Amino acid sequence: MALVNLESVWKSYKKGRDRVEVLNDISFRVNSRDFVALMGPSGSGKTTMLNLIGGLDRPTSGVVTVNDLELSSLSSGKLARWRSESIGFVFQFYNLLPVLSARQNVELPLLLTKLGRRQRRKNAELALDIVGLSDRARHTPARLSGGQQQRVAIARAIVADPKILVCDEPTGDLDRTTAIEILRLLQILNQDHDKTIIMVTHDPKAAEFAKRTMLLDKGKLVSRLLQPDIEAEVEV
Amino acid sequence: MTTFGFLLKSMFRRKLLVTLSMLSLTTAFLLFILLRSVAVLFSGVVADVSDVRMQTSSKYAIIFLLPHRYGEEIASVDGVLDVTHASWFGGAFKEGDDSAMTFAVDPTTYFEVYDDYLISSEHLSAFVELRTAAVAPEAIMERYDLEVGQKVPVTSPIFPTSNGEPWTFDLVGTYRSKNESEADFLPFLFHFEYLKEAAGVSDVGWYTFTIDDPEQSAEIAQIIDSKFENTSDATKTMTESQAFRDFFAQMGDISLMMNGIIGAVFFTMLLLTANTMIHSYRQRIPDLAVLKTLGFSNAKVARFMLIESLLFCTTSAAVGIGFATLALHGIGPFLPSGFVLTVTGPTLIWGAFIAVGLGLVIGLVPAISASRLVIVNALHTR
Repeated sequence: MALVNLESVWKSYKKGRDRVEVLNDISFRVNSRDFVALMGPSGSGKTTMLNLIGGLDRPTSGVVTVNDLELSSLSSGKLARWRSESIGFVFQFYNLLPVLSARQNVELPLLLTKLGRRQRRKNAELALDIVGLSDRARHTPARLSGGQQQRVAIARAIVADPKILVCDEPTGDLDRTTAIEILRLLQILNQDHDKTIIMVTHDPKAAEFAKRTMLLDKGKLVSRLLQPDIEAEVEV
Repeated sequence: MTTFGFLLKSMFRRKLLVTLSMLSLTTAFLLFILLRSVAVLFSGVVADVSDVRMQTSSKYAIIFLLPHRYGEEIASVDGVLDVTHASWFGGAFKEGDDSAMTFAVDPTTYFEVYDDYLISSEHLSAFVELRTAAVAPEAIMERYDLEVGQKVPVTSPIFPTSNGEPWTFDLVGTYRSKNESEADFLPFLFHFEYLKEAAGVSDVGWYTFTIDDPEQSAEIAQIIDSKFENTSDATKTMTESQAFRDFFAQMGDISLMMNGIIGAVFFTMLLLTANTMIHSYRQRIPDLAVLKTLGFSNAKVARFMLIESLLFCTTSAAVGIGFATLALHGIGPFLPSGFVLTVTGPTLIWGAFIAVGLGLVIGLVPAISASRLVIVNALHTR
């Protein structure tokens, strides 16, 4: 059973008087515990697709279903609650709040839960431990390196224990060595913690860490590639 | 971390900017409390003044004296009960001090007309019997550290003695008013006869009298004033509350002035604080987008902005009111006699109302904007 299902999804934006088609009739599925890399040139619609899966945006037409829930049917309030419970977000530029420490940033999504103060703190510390940053819990983002900030962002994404992580260029702002560390961390989350990961990337090396890769071009899904060790390619 | 802790941290994101803005607002509330206290002081006195007491003074100004015989003529008017008179002495109790309210009065009739002034029969008898006697209200006793039985030297720029020495009165008693708000406006009283003999003054400052029906006050005033209309000492008669209003009006419409200043201060603060909040909101658009991404609903982020704005204004108000209370306490000893400024309950309620209102008004635009923020657009503004 697919965890994420996109059926005939179209997305267009108004730009002045023109209408820009970003996604054209996209259909694809992501199974539970999958690790999918979305690749394609700039403007191909990768981030838009990620936003639709993450419930940050709504399709112009078509259906986005996550865990049997049709996202278009949810009100904005319900969609917000669903995001807080079901999705973890990791961004290229980390998007940590500068006034909060690493632990407080990780704790932030837990303010939406019914957990008590101590439990929130404990869960945040556990998430930081998973990403290997327990010793930096009291540091603000300004005092952390790019790689450390991205680890904090990943800890924040997993702290509420969502099934799905959507990652938008998570290594785009990092050097190669740090990028590999982050990608390995995502792999561990996928393999050992059963997280389903959908990752947008420009970088073919980064995509190699995923179980499969999807190529987008001009708003269309052009191919689905299995990773080299699986050695298969499926034309769409 | 609690939600409140998070809000506090967010609010002080730009510590210097927020602190300076809060200091401005604190100053506005400090001014508000000080000015309101002055306005309340004057309006409180007028509100408590009797309407069954009327006053006849010179038509032209209270500094012009009236003939002594006017007393009998006023007493002969239908509806008039008891009549007394008083004269402004302008006494100073200490060298270099401002004049305190000091009146030369007829001790036998003064406390009959001012029956809301409470004096013991023992003190009243002593006052009536001794020509150089004086009685002082509790506020003046306290202010100048006076004691019953002592001699009180008082200088007067209006009635200086021939040898330049101060007048000396025997303080034989003290009195107070039933109306608490009047406590700081009660005069030091001494015998008119003493003034008459020592300074050769036969005319009096003004007449005060009681009437049996407040409804008839306008008619009685008209009868009395018409009696003296075509003389060199024409009069103006009115109820005591109206006389108080006129007295304060000589200094300008205090309430209007105070409210005008307060209004101008808060309007300026509204613009400045709104500017700070909107600036703060714009800087935090990416952070708000992150909050929404994490699952904070539109209503929640709007609430955050409103609470932050309310917190900003109410904290500033609380600090401002605190400083104002300390300031009023501190400046009290330097104010002229009869001026005691305090922070009243209604002033505090007004302060709280303004703080909350200001918080809601300046938080409204950021709150609405935050709730309407489109996540995918806002995330790209970082």
